[in-house]
Amino acid sequence: MNANILLIPVMLPLAGGILCLLIPKKVRWFREGLSILIAALSTITAFFIFFREIPGLHYNFLEFEKFNLHLDMVISPMSAFILLFITGFVFLVSIYSLSYFSHDNNPKEYPAFLLFALGGSCGVVTADHFLLFLIFWEIVTVSLYFLISTGGKDATKGATKTFAMLGGADGCLLLGIGLCWFMTESFTISQLNIPINGWMPVIAFLLMMTGAIAKAGAMPFHTWIPDASDSAPPPVMAVLPASIDKLLGIFLLVRISTSIFIITPSLGLVLMIIGAVTIIWAVMVAMVQHDLRRLLSYHAISQVGYMFLGIGTMNPIGLAGALFHMLNNSIYKNCLFLSCGAIKKRTGTTNLADLGGLAKVMPLTFTACLVSSLAISGVPPFNGFASKWLIYQGILDTGLKGSYIFLIAAMFGSALTLASFLKVIYSVFLGSKTRQAEKVKKEVPPAMAVPMLILALLCLLFGVWYALPLDNMINPAIGTSVVVGGSWNSTMASLLMAVGIILGLSIYLVGRLRKSARFVGSFIGGEKLDSETGRINGTHFYLTIKEMPFLRILYDFQEKGFFDPYNWLGKLGADITRVLRKIHNGMLSWYLSWSLAGIVILLGILFFT
Amino acid sequence: MNTISIPLLIVIPLGTAFLIPLIARKKRFIADILGSAATLALLVLSILLFRYQGVYSIGGWEPPIGISWVQDGFSNLMLVIVSLISFCATLFSVQYMERYTSKHKYYSLFLLMVTGMNGVILTGDMFNLFVFLEIAAVASYALVAFGGEHEELEASFKYLVLGSVGSSFILLGIALLYGMTGYLNMAAIANNLPDSNTMLLMLATVFFIVGFGIKAALVPFHAWLPDAHPSAPAPISAMLSGVLIKALGIYALTRILFNVIGVSKLYGGVLITLGTLSMVIGVFLAVGQWDFKRLLAYHSISQMGYVVLGLGIGGYILASDGNIHAGTLAILGGLFHLTNHSVFKSLLFLCSGSIEYSTGTRELKEMGGLGTRMPVTRATCTIASLSIAGVPPFNGFWSKLLIVIAAIQGGYHWLAVITILVSFVTLISFLKVLRYTFLGELPEFLKQIKESPKSMLAPLIILAILCMGMGLLLIPGIKEVILDPASAVLIKGAQYAQDALVLH
Repeated sequence: MNANILLIPVMLPLAGGILCLLIPKKVRWFREGLSILIAALSTITAFFIFFREIPGLHYNFLEFEKFNLHLDMVISPMSAFILLFITGFVFLVSIYSLSYFSHDNNPKEYPAFLLFALGGSCGVVTADHFLLFLIFWEIVTVSLYFLISTGGKDATKGATKTFAMLGGADGCLLLGIGLCWFMTESFTISQLNIPINGWMPVIAFLLMMTGAIAKAGAMPFHTWIPDASDSAPPPVMAVLPASIDKLLGIFLLVRISTSIFIITPSLGLVLMIIGAVTIIWAVMVAMVQHDLRRLLSYHAISQVGYMFLGIGTMNPIGLAGALFHMLNNSIYKNCLFLSCGAIKKRTGTTNLADLGGLAKVMPLTFTACLVSSLAISGVPPFNGFASKWLIYQGILDTGLKGSYIFLIAAMFGSALTLASFLKVIYSVFLGSKTRQAEKVKKEVPPAMAVPMLILALLCLLFGVWYALPLDNMINPAIGTSVVVGGSWNSTMASLLMAVGIILGLSIYLVGRLRKSARFVGSFIGGEKLDSETGRINGTHFYLTIKEMPFLRILYDFQEKGFFDPYNWLGKLGADITRVLRKIHNGMLSWYLSWSLAGIVILLGILFFT
Repeated sequence: MNTISIPLLIVIPLGTAFLIPLIARKKRFIADILGSAATLALLVLSILLFRYQGVYSIGGWEPPIGISWVQDGFSNLMLVIVSLISFCATLFSVQYMERYTSKHKYYSLFLLMVTGMNGVILTGDMFNLFVFLEIAAVASYALVAFGGEHEELEASFKYLVLGSVGSSFILLGIALLYGMTGYLNMAAIANNLPDSNTMLLMLATVFFIVGFGIKAALVPFHAWLPDAHPSAPAPISAMLSGVLIKALGIYALTRILFNVIGVSKLYGGVLITLGTLSMVIGVFLAVGQWDFKRLLAYHSISQMGYVVLGLGIGGYILASDGNIHAGTLAILGGLFHLTNHSVFKSLLFLCSGSIEYSTGTRELKEMGGLGTRMPVTRATCTIASLSIAGVPPFNGFWSKLLIVIAAIQGGYHWLAVITILVSFVTLISFLKVLRYTFLGELPEFLKQIKESPKSMLAPLIILAILCMGMGLLLIPGIKEVILDPASAVLIKGAQYAQDALVLH
């Protein structure tokens, strides 16, 4: 196979994106057709790359003064499967977007920057030169900014915050790359293998980790995701922050912690702590959200915690779990955001209080959403369970004294996730219909339903035949063979859970069949009850948690933006600016005296050294 | 092409500057045509002369007594930048300046300013440098005040006072050098300077740093710029921020420091300090502004800091015989950033002019949602914003990358950190610009606005294409032709004196 095939999924979308921007706004079919065609071609190429051995690509591009930029691309087992999923997701979402964007609201930028994001992401996973990697990485960031901006006039704040935070993190990444160069004089990623001793490798690692954290959205650089989700179109959230950004962020994190650096256990512990805190806190914030998009985005943050936890264990099982979870998360999270988009398309809102009883009119969306909710909560036989299981085992295998704390955090987080999605399923699909939901008459068009169902099917497939992705994708990527099993038997647990479910169902059914319970309508003095007032609002489910003594303070801080580095840095910058502006008072004499002071200082320096 | 073409670079703008008030007083379109034709001719000429290096002696008087004009790699690069930006600015002025009276005076002053800049770039004689410097500076004082309103006059006055202080220091410095060597020719001065750093030479250097520092608006000599640049008409702001501070400030300072006096570790250190101060203070002042052009003006201070930092690191490393690769890379990065900055900053100022032309306001808070009505301005302004923020693959990224890598190669990790931090704040600042101008909701009183006329959009598009494509200047084959000759002049330092005498 020719190595140039690696250029197809990178260059083709980038060229297509430019073309999309150049053609006039009216030719909608061409733009959309082009984006689907290119995404399909890239997916096919990705399949080829996945199944064949592809040699690396190397073109000398720039080289002067020990600075170089080569077009180096290699494909590793890990990048091969990530490439496959990136292209696949973009393909599915571009089909979905055909119907999502209505006739009068189809931003020209959307297909163009979707293609840019595709090209950039494919570049990130194949690049073998750090500067090339950085350029592609930044292309993804910029595309995300423009994609969020397509959400209309309310999206500006979220888009700005996203670009600001990711841009800052990319700056850290560049600095990390620079330090790596200083230590090794090389930009070639596959040649790097830096042992962590002394302060410089640690700083370089932490800087690059910051880039990965912000991209993947772990704490403390997670705050752009909820703000972006407020007004970005759900397909945008589905394709980038929920899936591709996770793939890229974790891809970078795995590379820096397994091959670029040889990390020490203490750095692993740092990753695990970040992971555990992210899991618990993000899910607790998610539980009390009233908006579906915001709720989902906090879960997107929480799930990253598992991957950090898995990578932090530094053993093959944990790593395999993290990679597998990254894959699974991107599938179900994508599906969840797409169903959120379907709900928004039909009802015009994502506010949980305004939704209800949609299961009957939107059965396909309900199925997809239910399956992915169960998957994210780690219920067998869906994929989330298998990968979480591996991560639990990885935590146990670390042999750390306090590893039980991490295990409890992970399991507790999983339970809270389930609780949170009970709220989602109930408030959106079950119960009686609200006024908003009454208006919905039919299911979303097939172009939207099919991608969701495909993703839901994948959730089931990867849950039942977890060996399939594990043997073909994850194990080659980490170079060892990990099997689900070990000290805790997952089959046993699945069986126990199944027995539990069957038992519960049979108790319910027995009760109904024997008619031991009596069902009557509510009686309120003969008044007729309309569906709205009789309804139990799902948004009230977990409000009591917010009132708990210690948690109340934390939630209070959260609402004031206390955990948001963006606010902190913003305030700091504003203070510096205020001081500086105060001394720029417009008085000429004042300005002249600065120049004078400058001269005196310069003279002083030059004469006394 | 031969030596005789060199004076054309001065004669064309100077001649046209005097021709326009004579024949175009009544007919505006003649002024438009003559103005644009002159700058176009300069652009073509400077590109044709690009590979040429030589010395022209005025009136046949031989150096070191006569005045000579020297063309080398560095001046060639600067000439192309000046001509390019002036051409775009004149093209933009055709429509934009319709609102002002006496267009012929405008073009006349404009071309005088170009004459001054070309002269500063070409001259190989100290006093001639001062003369051209004053021609450009005085023309720019008048252009800043061109609107004639209270705000413009006040800004122009501040600029005038500080600018004159700067010029006086430069003149003092020239006098000291003349007193020490008895020559005014730069090459001759360089050959005859005392080897050791005497008190007088140091004093002269301080005067040059202060004088040119004021012209280049380096912190703490920057205070005139944020008043002067926004007050001028938009194409003039583009010229001032895009090329004037570079030609009169950075170019002249580096020419004298590197080629005449000779850079030492101390001067390198001073340049690094001034550059870092300008970068940091400029950007933090910029991010808090709500006047579009004022924000851009503060960014000019900050971006000039990058250029001076790059040149300073290069000078320091070369003087201390350190890592020669890092030194070369730093100087290359500094010069490349100078080139890039002139393109994207003039583009930004022209965009602000285009917005002001349509909406009548410069206040960011009063705008919003302009993207739907002004798609071309939005696209070009976005490109320029991403360029200045250093986002790949636009041109600003490459030059900042070179400076960061050079700083790290040279072992100045903290400077790399500061550079990236400033770049980050720049990004925030321009995200703010984009958010408040083009995104969001269109205010009621702007519902009727239209995109600017085509003749104003043409220069925007030209500059935006350059922003996207200038990263290619680093490609092997192109880099050797365009950037390397310029950086070689600075790296070789004292070699200039030999070249300037021999080439003649």
